[in-house]
Amino acid sequence: MPPTITRLVNVVHAPVAHPRYFTLIAIPFAAERTMIRKLHAAVAVSVFALLAVGSSAEAATTVKFWHTFNKTNGEALTKIIASFEAAHPDIHVEQEFVGNYNDMVAKLQAGIPARRTPDAVILEITRYGLFANNNVLTDLTPYVDADPLKNDLYDFAREIGTIKGKNYVVPFNSSTPVLYFNKDIFTRAGLSVDTPLKTFDDVLAAAKTIQAKLGSEGISGIGAPGQFARWGLVMSNDSELIDPKTNDILLDKPNTIEAYQWMASLVSQHKVASPDGVTDEDKGNALFMAGKVGIDMDSTGSYGGRKKALGDNLVVRPMPCNKVCSVPIGGAGIGIMASSPKEVQDAAYKFVSYAASPEANAIWFAATGYLPINKKSATLAVTLKALETQPGIDVAINSLPYAHGRARTTVVTWMRTNEYKVWQSIALGQRKADEALKDFAEQTRKENQRAGN
Amino acid sequence: MLRKLTPYLFVAPLMIFIAVFTYIPILTSLNLSVRQWNFLTPDMPFVGLRNYEELLASAEFWNSLRVTVVFAVLSVPLRLGAALLIASRLLRETVSSRLLRGAFFLPSVTSIVSIAVVFSWVFATDYGMVNWILHLVGLGRPQWLQDPYLALWVLIVVNTWRQLGYDIVIYIAGLQAIPQELYDAAAVDGGKRFDVFRRVTIPLVMPTTYFLLVISVIEAFQVFTIVNVMTKGGPAGATDMLVNLLYEIGFGLFDIGRGSALAVILFVLLVGLALLKSRIIGSKVHYEA
Repeated sequence: MPPTITRLVNVVHAPVAHPRYFTLIAIPFAAERTMIRKLHAAVAVSVFALLAVGSSAEAATTVKFWHTFNKTNGEALTKIIASFEAAHPDIHVEQEFVGNYNDMVAKLQAGIPARRTPDAVILEITRYGLFANNNVLTDLTPYVDADPLKNDLYDFAREIGTIKGKNYVVPFNSSTPVLYFNKDIFTRAGLSVDTPLKTFDDVLAAAKTIQAKLGSEGISGIGAPGQFARWGLVMSNDSELIDPKTNDILLDKPNTIEAYQWMASLVSQHKVASPDGVTDEDKGNALFMAGKVGIDMDSTGSYGGRKKALGDNLVVRPMPCNKVCSVPIGGAGIGIMASSPKEVQDAAYKFVSYAASPEANAIWFAATGYLPINKKSATLAVTLKALETQPGIDVAINSLPYAHGRARTTVVTWMRTNEYKVWQSIALGQRKADEALKDFAEQTRKENQRAGN
Repeated sequence: MLRKLTPYLFVAPLMIFIAVFTYIPILTSLNLSVRQWNFLTPDMPFVGLRNYEELLASAEFWNSLRVTVVFAVLSVPLRLGAALLIASRLLRETVSSRLLRGAFFLPSVTSIVSIAVVFSWVFATDYGMVNWILHLVGLGRPQWLQDPYLALWVLIVVNTWRQLGYDIVIYIAGLQAIPQELYDAAAVDGGKRFDVFRRVTIPLVMPTTYFLLVISVIEAFQVFTIVNVMTKGGPAGATDMLVNLLYEIGFGLFDIGRGSALAVILFVLLVGLALLKSRIIGSKVHYEA
């Protein structure tokens, strides 16, 4: 071996700060000595850095968390994660925004065979059954039973996370649909802020007035209802899409058909809703926030974004009570993947529990408008301030006495995916509501049998 | 021995790449197409040809096939015809020609998702730019993305606009390869401009046309992003092309078996079309003047 290389090997292999180290090397030239000293220092620093990184990586458990929140809601979630990590320095939550609820289901399902799944995941409340029934989610019942949190959750929040007595998700962002309207548009159309909006006829009358008065300015009376609002309007017409208790398909029940006929009439018959919102729900929401739509029905979880966009012009009302007062509970909960190692599941549950804690829930409610799920969050200063300074944020809370959980069997995912097409065909006047819904009900029943529910 | 192996070693990296990203997925799709699977369970029971039977018996499949064929039949000639005409006008090496070539090519290198999002607003019924202009000149407000016939046309126009630049560049290369003497001879013979184009340019640019035809038909049958972003196959299935249906079955309904069966059918369809084109048009392609 050449002498220089021998010296370098000695340097690299020499124990750091060993007294013999300096005597081992006989370096004839000053420059070479300086170079070797620098190399030694670099090796020492690298070893130290590696040890430091290694030890911190060993100490912190990383929980990969996939979620569906961006913009205002994403900022609030980041704040909650930061406060959780501050309270649990041994756990790092690696969050990733993956799109909307549909995207989440698709990405998670594709990730399972590829073994590229997270440890904790936000799942929409009617669609987690697909994963629970296929043993993809951990049964959280032992965790929940041992957690004092269970006594603090509202009844609805405890109920929606369970299937056949087993807890698969802990609610995080619960919601109901509410009716939003733009005060400025109402005033310009000559409508009072107290205009009754309790029945389908009330809503239609207000939308017609707006359309007649402001249609020439490019303002629509009402936004075409999105899927969550459609479900709510069906329930307010004393019906359901799928019975949450018996799992019977109710898509062709007369009251369901009647509700769809009314919703479609807003677009095709009365022309008070833009067809743009029928084919693209996001476009409908964007138009309301741009001040181009008078009335819109959507999740209370969009309150934060709408408030930011419209400021004091945003008014919130409960959903119409056409035949009965009944609204669906929506939103999502956090589940933990069965495939994650036990210690990661434990760490993930600590995060799940923290996310539903009074402190986190208060931050979340105040920033987004999603329902409080923890009874104790109601007394916190953040919540009280939100209730005082953000008018309308309590509308969904007041809807809770008549809010109901929805069916969450495997077929619900299939039904929701296909419902868009059926709605489009009805709203755009391509098919009659009764005919389209009867066909759809039959197909859903067949799929239900196939899925073995 | 080593000498004999050397060529294989050189092509091995590419062959491995093609095997991993092309042939293995094709074989996997073939295998999955005869199984029932939803991604979630390790069980993949063999179901024979049931996925194919269900697919061929479904109205959605035939609707998608019809829509895709209509899209291809309308968009491919439009693309190639427009590209050939524009390319023939941009042959000269002038500053304006170069600028226009760049302008036409720009959409080809722009993100498809961005294009689709922008055009979905451009063609919005109540708030779109197109309808705003139509309204200004006293025309109505067509429901571009809600009318089943118009929605397909919108997709054709947007897709053509995006692909045109690429086709133009290829055509320019093809047109530049035509010997000038042939045009000079035609001029001496008193050939009119249209006749020269019909009898000289079109036949001699056939290899390029044939290449673009093969590419654009495959592309038309595989169009997905524009459809998924702009219409999601709607309204009510009016633009639900085969790959969009495949995505919906596979990643919306999680029926991987049926989705794979559709992928196999699409593959067979494209191979069949390529053979058909080769049989019908291949003999009419002249590679030398």
